Amino acid sequence: MLRASAVAERAGVPTASLVCEGFIGQAATTSTGLGLPGLATALVPGHVDVQSPDELRRNVAAVTVDAVIRNLTEAPAAVGGAVVEPGPNDIVFEGTFDEVNRYYYENDWSDGLPIVPPTPDRVAEFLRFCDRPPQTELGVLLPDKRRATVGNVAVNGVMAGCRPEYMPILVALVEAMADPRYGVEHSGNTPGAETLIILNGPLIKELGFNYEQGALRDGIQANTSIGRFWRLYLRNVAGFLHHRTDKGTFGNTWRVVLAENEDVLRRIGWPTIADDEGVSGGNAVTISRYTGGGVIASVFGNTPVQMLPYLADAIVGKVGWELLFTVGMGVGSQRPLLILSPILAETLAKGGVDKVALKRRLFELARIPAAKLEKYVGEWTNFVPGRPKLTDLVKAGHIPAVFAESDDPQRPVPLVCRAEDLMVAVSGDPLRTNAYAFAHNGILGYPTTKAVRLPADWARLLREARAR
Amino acid sequence: MDALWVLVPAGQRASGEWIDDTLRARAAEKGLLGRSPRAGEFPRQRVELVRGADPVAAVNRLYQERGWTDGLPIVPPTLGRVDETVAAGGRERHVALGEVAPLAGLATVEKVAANAVMAGCEPAHFPVVLAAVEAILDPAFNLRGVQTTDENVAPLLVVNGPVAKRLGVNAGWGALGPGWPANAAIGRAVHLVMHNLGGGWPGAVSFAGLGQPGRYTLCLAERDDSPWPPLHVELGYRPAQSTVTVLRAETVINVTGGLDEVASVMGSAASLFGILHSGKPGVILSPLTARRLHADGWTRATAREALFARGRLDAETWRRSWIRTAVRATDWPDWAVEAAEQGAIPAVREPDDITLVVAGADLPIPQHAYCPSWGYPPCRVTREIVERGQGS
Repeated sequence: MLRASAVAERAGVPTASLVCEGFIGQAATTSTGLGLPGLATALVPGHVDVQSPDELRRNVAAVTVDAVIRNLTEAPAAVGGAVVEPGPNDIVFEGTFDEVNRYYYENDWSDGLPIVPPTPDRVAEFLRFCDRPPQTELGVLLPDKRRATVGNVAVNGVMAGCRPEYMPILVALVEAMADPRYGVEHSGNTPGAETLIILNGPLIKELGFNYEQGALRDGIQANTSIGRFWRLYLRNVAGFLHHRTDKGTFGNTWRVVLAENEDVLRRIGWPTIADDEGVSGGNAVTISRYTGGGVIASVFGNTPVQMLPYLADAIVGKVGWELLFTVGMGVGSQRPLLILSPILAETLAKGGVDKVALKRRLFELARIPAAKLEKYVGEWTNFVPGRPKLTDLVKAGHIPAVFAESDDPQRPVPLVCRAEDLMVAVSGDPLRTNAYAFAHNGILGYPTTKAVRLPADWARLLREARAR
Repeated sequence: MDALWVLVPAGQRASGEWIDDTLRARAAEKGLLGRSPRAGEFPRQRVELVRGADPVAAVNRLYQERGWTDGLPIVPPTLGRVDETVAAGGRERHVALGEVAPLAGLATVEKVAANAVMAGCEPAHFPVVLAAVEAILDPAFNLRGVQTTDENVAPLLVVNGPVAKRLGVNAGWGALGPGWPANAAIGRAVHLVMHNLGGGWPGAVSFAGLGQPGRYTLCLAERDDSPWPPLHVELGYRPAQSTVTVLRAETVINVTGGLDEVASVMGSAASLFGILHSGKPGVILSPLTARRLHADGWTRATAREALFARGRLDAETWRRSWIRTAVRATDWPDWAVEAAEQGAIPAVREPDDITLVVAGADLPIPQHAYCPSWGYPPCRVTREIVERGQGS
């Protein structure tokens, strides 16, 4: 909400932002990041969702209304001055390994695990793997509004335990993070969804990414350290910190990089995730935020007809309140991800199902009663106020006609607006008949794909790095 | 070489700036960098590592040169001490109690804890410090005024309830004097918060002309053997609750004698600011006097009424007073102007504006104190002291 207020204030329109009690601290830091540290907020006591209409009315009348009037009628206090931060080449600390780690941890620069001290030598080694100078700006990241640069990518890469040759991937990841389509500013929202990075291209093998057994488990340096880099960068550059800018109610640990099994994809003629997202023909990263996921074990059958109902049901089982992003906020931005083990993908392909057909079949099969979807977004939650009927939303032109093929409350409706909104990746143990499904966070972390740019003398640099 | 991990106790605004940049500029303008030659020179982080053969001395020297002390040595706010102190406060370390005027450093629980450790607080003192800081951040306290005025006002902290005895907050012999760790450290913590988070550096931001020793610490408890119900019960709290009540005290004037002597000091030029601002002064009454009054059937209320009735400033003294002739000819409160027409002005607008506290040694020659108030708005702020796991 503060972001909307900031836009209005910049346009010269006074604002009052109603902020629930639990968010006041975050509002102060967020408004600073927005460049309007004095942004006027009006406190709403407690949490509105657990108050009766009478309690809410009393609270608003006693506290909020007065603040709104003051917000709109009084000039905000002038807040000026510059925030002083260490320069990109400053030595911020000298000491032993243990001391460096304590210093970084106590100053909120670490996630609690030991970091590799980002010494000038180590950072320089990373910078060799990028043809652009360290001061190159890759974007400006909310909430702290700090500049993302090639240099601070290298620093966080060192800290995360990456190898220097991962640098081109790290830079591409931060370019994706800074892309407005992704929406990094939402990374501290209360459902606490976590990003999954999907890697495509020859780098998977060149850099030793795991794409087989245990594809989503820590333990392989490339997959693991780059996943850790992602969260360190959110912490140290974007500025998401526990109990302050981060309001994720639970959150979860960072996810390791998912690399696709491109040998299998080539063999069955299926496009990669990057191909599907329009970045073909090389190395690419795709980032997307998922609220949660889980495994679907032991998919039984040797034909698509036998296998598809279970796979479709797996997606149904994962997506609940997230349907908000299908029909409410950011209509059509729900992009569930289904990861198939290679043997499942190969069996489907053998049965004549290509990736487009697979998505179409899943779109048809993964359906729930219209009344249940309406409950998720308008009754059990209050995401879409006024409990609108899907039929009315279709009539108003907000969502596709598929949601109102009749007015029977029990009619099956899809989870996404279009078949191609479903994403399908192939990875994991090649010979196990298991799959994995993720529910997606919609416009608050929309899939964003970036090509990975390699330095001009990549082959030589990589050879040298491997020799060290 | 040894080393200490210490918290940076300086004020940082919600916007991320450190108030020390402003303080350094103000101190330089006023030629005061001799007091704090290294103002603003510190790692702009939460913690730093201070090394030295004697790291405690090194921290003291550094903090003094950066302008972070009241002139006396401090206890280094090590991570361990601050953690223990935060834990004793029972509140999450990042919670911000508010912005400390005038420079708007955030009083997070952790920053307040760092300053409390520096002041010499034990962890058990911290709930009192938190309550007192909340009280001075109440808009009614007008901390901006207290910190920046040329008057010498300081917060006077009065602790009531069971916590006072448990922590040894002295209400008896020399309650406002030296020798009592809780009184010394709790009051000093509040002043270090004002100094380091609010930026009340003398001469640079704080323009108190003479200052007063109460700006080091001004903290006492009310005696629990007073014949009357204690202050916090009178203010609506239960006896089992503990509270801190904060007044703006321009100074502490000793008055030896009886109620008439107290009234006589109240009816003097000492009350001019109090009259101008319709202020709420404090009267510390000796236990012997309280007991005698009680034996004669007096209550807190009748004692206040007597002080109100007898402590009158002669109208002519007021008319000729410096403050009226040189500064404020008009805009005196109606109640004072009307009283002047009758010949004398009471020290307060109404008896209830007097905060009566029974404290001091039980001496046969009773000693009292009058603490005149300064500033807008009328202020007596009370906060409950919530000890860890003991909400009420």
